[in-house]
Amino acid sequence: MDGIRLKSVSARFRHQVKGDIAAVRDVSLDVAPGELMTLLGPSGCGKTTTLRMIAGFQEPSGGEIFIGDRDVTQTEANERNIGFVFQNYALFPHLSVFENVAYGLTVKRMDGGDIARAVTDVLALVGLASYERQMPHQLSGGEQQRVALARAIVIKPRVLLFDEPLSNLDAKLRTQMRGEIRDLQRRLGITTVYVTHDQEEAMAISDRIAVMNRGLIEQLGTAEELYRLPASVFVARFIGRSNLVEALVTAVSPDRVDLTIAGQPHAVEGAGANVNTGQTVLANVRPEAIAIGAPGNGLAGRVKSRTYLGEKMEYEVEVAGQTVQIVRFNPPPSERFAPGDAVSVRLPHEGVQLLAKEGT
Amino acid sequence: MTGAARPRLVRDPALLVTVTVLWVLLALFVIYPLLMLGGTAFFEEGRPALGPLLGVLQKPGTQRAFVNSLLLGTLVGTIGTALGFLFAFTVSRANLPSGWVRVIDAMTLLPLISPPFTTSIAFIFSFGPRGLITYELFGMRGTNVYGLPSTLAAEVLTYFPIAYLALRPVLAAIGGNLEEMAFSLGSSRFNVFKTVTLRLALPGLANAFLLLFAASLADFATPLILAGNSFPVLPTEAYLQITGLFDLKGGAAMSLLLLVPAALVYFVQRTWVERGHYVTISGKAGPQSTIRSVTPAMRWALILVCLAVALFIAYLYALLLHASLVVAFGANHTWTLAHYHVIFTEGRKAIVDTMTIALIGMPLGGFYGVLTGYLVARKEFAGRRTMEVVSMINYALPGTIVGIAYLIAFNDPPIALTGTALIIIACYVFRYSPTGIRTTVALLHQIDKSLEEASKSLGARSVTTFRRITLPLVMPAFFAGVGVVFIRSMTAISATIFLVSIGWTLITVRILENMTELSLGPAAAFSVFVIVIVMAVTTCVNALLRRLPAAAAEQAQWGVGGG
Repeated sequence: MDGIRLKSVSARFRHQVKGDIAAVRDVSLDVAPGELMTLLGPSGCGKTTTLRMIAGFQEPSGGEIFIGDRDVTQTEANERNIGFVFQNYALFPHLSVFENVAYGLTVKRMDGGDIARAVTDVLALVGLASYERQMPHQLSGGEQQRVALARAIVIKPRVLLFDEPLSNLDAKLRTQMRGEIRDLQRRLGITTVYVTHDQEEAMAISDRIAVMNRGLIEQLGTAEELYRLPASVFVARFIGRSNLVEALVTAVSPDRVDLTIAGQPHAVEGAGANVNTGQTVLANVRPEAIAIGAPGNGLAGRVKSRTYLGEKMEYEVEVAGQTVQIVRFNPPPSERFAPGDAVSVRLPHEGVQLLAKEGT
Repeated sequence: MTGAARPRLVRDPALLVTVTVLWVLLALFVIYPLLMLGGTAFFEEGRPALGPLLGVLQKPGTQRAFVNSLLLGTLVGTIGTALGFLFAFTVSRANLPSGWVRVIDAMTLLPLISPPFTTSIAFIFSFGPRGLITYELFGMRGTNVYGLPSTLAAEVLTYFPIAYLALRPVLAAIGGNLEEMAFSLGSSRFNVFKTVTLRLALPGLANAFLLLFAASLADFATPLILAGNSFPVLPTEAYLQITGLFDLKGGAAMSLLLLVPAALVYFVQRTWVERGHYVTISGKAGPQSTIRSVTPAMRWALILVCLAVALFIAYLYALLLHASLVVAFGANHTWTLAHYHVIFTEGRKAIVDTMTIALIGMPLGGFYGVLTGYLVARKEFAGRRTMEVVSMINYALPGTIVGIAYLIAFNDPPIALTGTALIIIACYVFRYSPTGIRTTVALLHQIDKSLEEASKSLGARSVTTFRRITLPLVMPAFFAGVGVVFIRSMTAISATIFLVSIGWTLITVRILENMTELSLGPAAAFSVFVIVIVMAVTTCVNALLRRLPAAAAEQAQWGVGGG
């Protein structure tokens, strides 16, 4: 089993209008053997460029790429032995399902009988056993994606690369397919890099996630680490929803930080790593961690909007000029704060991240 | 050192080989002849000399031919564009039944696929000294059909379909919805036409004018038949300079004179027209509600004018067919197949030669077009843009220049090809395959790059990817390229008139000889024969294109250029 290693890889382009732009800047990354690593970020963050450089579709303008022990920086894509699944599936429109899946094997001049057996097996694996003679345009989007997946894994690649494979599918199918991809990847134990801009998809599928922004990896970790301990405002905003409440640090002790939020004192536990007394910071509080109640106990606020979503209720509350999002799961029927109502908002003392203010 | 240091070409030997071979061919059949042409015109005994060039320029005949060429081109451009616009406007705005549109399309396509003389010959049958209209109908004696008016009329009828084809999508893209919006804002019909339709179509009109101007400038056949002594133009003068006076240097210089307006047109097209395209496809087509851009009376007027022109074209072709089937048109109208007998006996060699050359040129041209288009559109290598431009040169130049350049370049060692079929085939392939190149590029823009990347990721080398994925998908472009090379091989003359020999001759050249010998019957029979063959092949290629898979839905465009 091979891992993937990127050593300060960068990609620079010459854009006709914008001039020189760096799509990827000195990115280093270690994907462990058998791991599913997701590159997550908004469009233009460099995640797809990074993936394409791993595949060999694009040449890095600097740095080195290893698959296993082998330096593949100079290797053409067709000699890297990778499986690549494209956003638009990229099935060959003039070839049948069988011929599409068999393509990589015929290119390797494998024996005809072996090819037929391998194709039949892999089609059964992705649940398309009787589809061999169909043409791509006769298939639904989900079926096409399965063919693309079968075509990528039948060649027994050393690594599997996914470029936003589910973004052309509807929401339900997307959830189902990501489960199947995850199962298959575990079963085959194949090192995988998966690119998506959908944080929920990333959290559901990945062993680890690399959050990318402007050509850099902002933070690398498991879904839980990223959600609980975002290292930057960008990550806090990108992974889940977050309230970034302005706070003034009044005292720092080893296991506790005293803050002033909207004129009221508030203490949080164990978050004092990088803050100093007198500094203005952003306190990252997740919407579901905030309590809302009748006026009195807590920060005074006024309800701006209320959205009923079945299993949960979402409020937007204005507190000292800032809008705070609050999510209440399974709220009691008696709890009915309407827009315009005065309420009190209570912030938690645990699980609050203090982040330095940045440009964005 | 990292990846960027090692160029792609070195790592992809197949690409390296292909690019090298293509460059050698382009150097040999595009660059080298033009250099030799320039050398002949600008050098004397190895030294730069402007003497011969100035000598030719100072001749009053040359100056008159230059002025005449520009005048003719301007008139053909103006009138042809107007007529093309009229047709395009009628088809897109007059709510014609689809059957009528098909008739108009067929009538306008006819001149495009005919040998270049056809209209001219029919003009002589109609308006000549023994013409159906001039002699039979009005009893005029000793009419002189030759000169500017008839040349102009024949060229307009031959080339206005180019303007029609260029303007139709433009008018369709402007669409009735935009016009309807202007109506709803209270504008009058004429105002809408003036401020919306015409204004938006302006870049398209300019483009159509330039296309026709270039086509007329390069046209050799029509003026040769119809212009006569009173109205010399550059292509015919250059031809007579070489074949009549054996003055290669003078001919070369004269043909280069043709380059001045041709280059100007190219430059204007590139910088001005292409930049100024207002009409963009607006994603959402929207339902085309009943278009009320024209009043009912206007609608009938438009239809009548179009029908009249279409009928006149039909009349000319009927005349040609008739002339090929009677003993002597204008004198003895007894039915006979004698002219067809002549072309299949005496003319047999021309037919066999032409077909042989066309059949060899077809696959070569088709493959060359697809390969070059693929490299230019998909591969990264040094000189890619240059290759694209160079591959278009012979297509863009007037045929007279290309013909004379080939004549000079391949007449003597080191590369003596005069008298062979190869020189004619090479001329056709490099002059008419650019249509295939452009169709391939257009098609490849629609085929997602990820298909080739998918093939690559599955372990296929670039040659395998091209053969098994790209080639099947660009088949329509291949067939379009093949079709154009075939049609042009059957109908072209302006360049190849300089390249025929005793060993290898062409139908079009035989038609010209027949015309000068005044054996009009065989000339008509040859023309009918060519039209029938070309129509048959066109139909076959179109049928083939329709049967290709969905990716090929984009109907490949048929190239139209000067004969």
